[in-house]
Amino acid sequence: MSTRTDPDEALAVLAADTSTLTQLLRAIETLEQQPQERTVRVGVSASATVDLLGVYLRRHGLLAGTGVEIVPGNFDDPIGDVERFRAAGVRHVVLLPFFDGLLPSFEAQLPNLEPGAVDVLEESLRSRYRLAFEAAREMDSVFVGSFHRLGSPVDLGGRDVVATVLHRFDAALREEAAGFSNTRVVDTQDVVSTVGRRAAFDHRFHLRSRAPYTGAFLDELARRITAGARGFGAHFHKVLVLDCDNTLWGGVVGEDSPTGVGLSPHDHPGSVYWRVQHQIAALRHEGVLLALCTKNNPDDVDEVLDRHPDMVLRAEDFVATRINWDDKPANLRALATELGVGLDSMVFLDDSPFECEAVRQQLPMVTTVQVPRTLSEYPRVVHRVAELFLAGGTTTDSRDKTEQYRRRAQAQQLQARSVDQETYLASLQLTVELRRDLPGDAARVSELSQKSNQFNLTTRRYSTAEVERLVASPEHAVYSLVVGDTFGSAGLTGAAVLRYDGDRAYVEAFFLSCRVIGRGVETSVWPQIVVDAIERGCHELHADFVPSAKNTQVADFYDRLGLHVATEADDGSRSYRIDAHDFHTPPPAWIEMSSLG
Amino acid sequence: MDEQQLSDVMATVLRVPAEEIGPGSSMDTVPGWDSLRHLTLVLALEEEFGIQIPDEEAGSITSYPLIKLVLSELVEARA
Repeated sequence: MSTRTDPDEALAVLAADTSTLTQLLRAIETLEQQPQERTVRVGVSASATVDLLGVYLRRHGLLAGTGVEIVPGNFDDPIGDVERFRAAGVRHVVLLPFFDGLLPSFEAQLPNLEPGAVDVLEESLRSRYRLAFEAAREMDSVFVGSFHRLGSPVDLGGRDVVATVLHRFDAALREEAAGFSNTRVVDTQDVVSTVGRRAAFDHRFHLRSRAPYTGAFLDELARRITAGARGFGAHFHKVLVLDCDNTLWGGVVGEDSPTGVGLSPHDHPGSVYWRVQHQIAALRHEGVLLALCTKNNPDDVDEVLDRHPDMVLRAEDFVATRINWDDKPANLRALATELGVGLDSMVFLDDSPFECEAVRQQLPMVTTVQVPRTLSEYPRVVHRVAELFLAGGTTTDSRDKTEQYRRRAQAQQLQARSVDQETYLASLQLTVELRRDLPGDAARVSELSQKSNQFNLTTRRYSTAEVERLVASPEHAVYSLVVGDTFGSAGLTGAAVLRYDGDRAYVEAFFLSCRVIGRGVETSVWPQIVVDAIERGCHELHADFVPSAKNTQVADFYDRLGLHVATEADDGSRSYRIDAHDFHTPPPAWIEMSSLG
Repeated sequence: MDEQQLSDVMATVLRVPAEEIGPGSSMDTVPGWDSLRHLTLVLALEEEFGIQIPDEEAGSITSYPLIKLVLSELVEARA
């Protein structure tokens, strides 16, 4: 073989199970610098921190031949995220609602909740995700993670209240998803089972940064999503082409005779082939086309197909056969022509490393799979082959089923469509308490100023002592925001620092925790702040936007608030002003405001 | 502890040239080093150095000197 170039080596790193995260990152970067045949944008919206999922989606996308650009969403904002994804040209969306995050420490809290609270939560979940699915209607594919639990039930039988609610919410999510033909549920509980619960979660980062998942979990999740999206449009497999000897049965029919091949369901190793034949027959029932391509005497193979008592697959199961001594690439070409399908829609399964390599080299567009040397691995390998065909869903039968679901769900949606974003927000019963100069808030305001990056207009960091000084100073005001909704209080989640100088009020800082962005909280506090300034004798409000590496999402915040740009610097910093009496941006109708201090 | 390896891992995860990583590197000076990237960095360091960084330290090792200090201790303790 020719010497490997960098991209080949990088692909080998991506394919290897043993590659470390650092090696993967390097390999991904190498490959992404190459021109890509196909690039797609994938939006990831989650209610947990899943930054690494992007790395693994890029890994599996590249392995399938697709460059993947990740568009990350905000925290727990599926509806807003999908809107932004649409504007950003995203074609595939991943939505990951996190069960333990539905309310803070939901699994621990659940046994202590009133049943009514669970009902409200389910209704909110349904309407939020229905709206997100609705908004994502035009996407090529939408993957929504089902719910899984973080801990184990204490109850020996596994039927505790968490299991009951999880089951119920999971059913609700699946029911909402069923109404959208482009939307698929990804069974995350099965990902946890596959990876192992202990290996799936990192409790350090779960509790500290709401990043509950390990790389192992996110890697397996990304692998499944990529398979489900058919490599993000890289392939659409239709035909499974099978060798015979040591692939459909154990042994060589030309040597062992048609009755002597290993295929008994009760004896090893025949039982492995018998099992595999059932797996392949199941594929046929799902609409996958089967073909034979084998170097044998046709009479021998026909006799096994017709007479062997333990054959699961029979002659009528194959749509085409090439039983001859020609080379396999030539036979595969002939099969493709006969069936009128592209070579790239074929999967070729053979036990011979020689044949597999010949096909890989001459027909790289065919997906070639070799029967593993360790026979016990064979059913698992065929399971992966099945994924190539079925993970993407929609064979003829299932497409009909999808259509039925879609019609039924459309009727339901006509009733439900009145639930728009504003009604949803109203149902949250949002409250904002605007506090002013409370010394007890200083520590939290300081902490928030250190931590807030995305929604932070000037990125000024304050120490607790500084905030205490500003609280006491008559020339300053420190506003803090306490946000609550029907599910409880989110606590002190934002602050504004004002400086008064003669008839001018300057906004020195304004920052919010990303937990509360996107619900109108950010604009709700300004009418009161302006009224306070007027009462102090100020006529003008001045505010600055100072760009940082992380706060681009608020670059136009003051524009949206109705302020006017006064000056703009080369680095993108902008000063705004407005006559206090001209400020007319009302607080959102769905927020109940109160003030303190 | 292999400092070159440390620089390489940090450079790869934080997406800056390896020669730019040094004692002056911290969350405040490296633009790509935000709280999300920090999680990835901790996981990558644990994997490359074969160690487990305790909860108390995972969140606070936000500069090159701090990482070096904690890693050296853990690598030594393992040996």
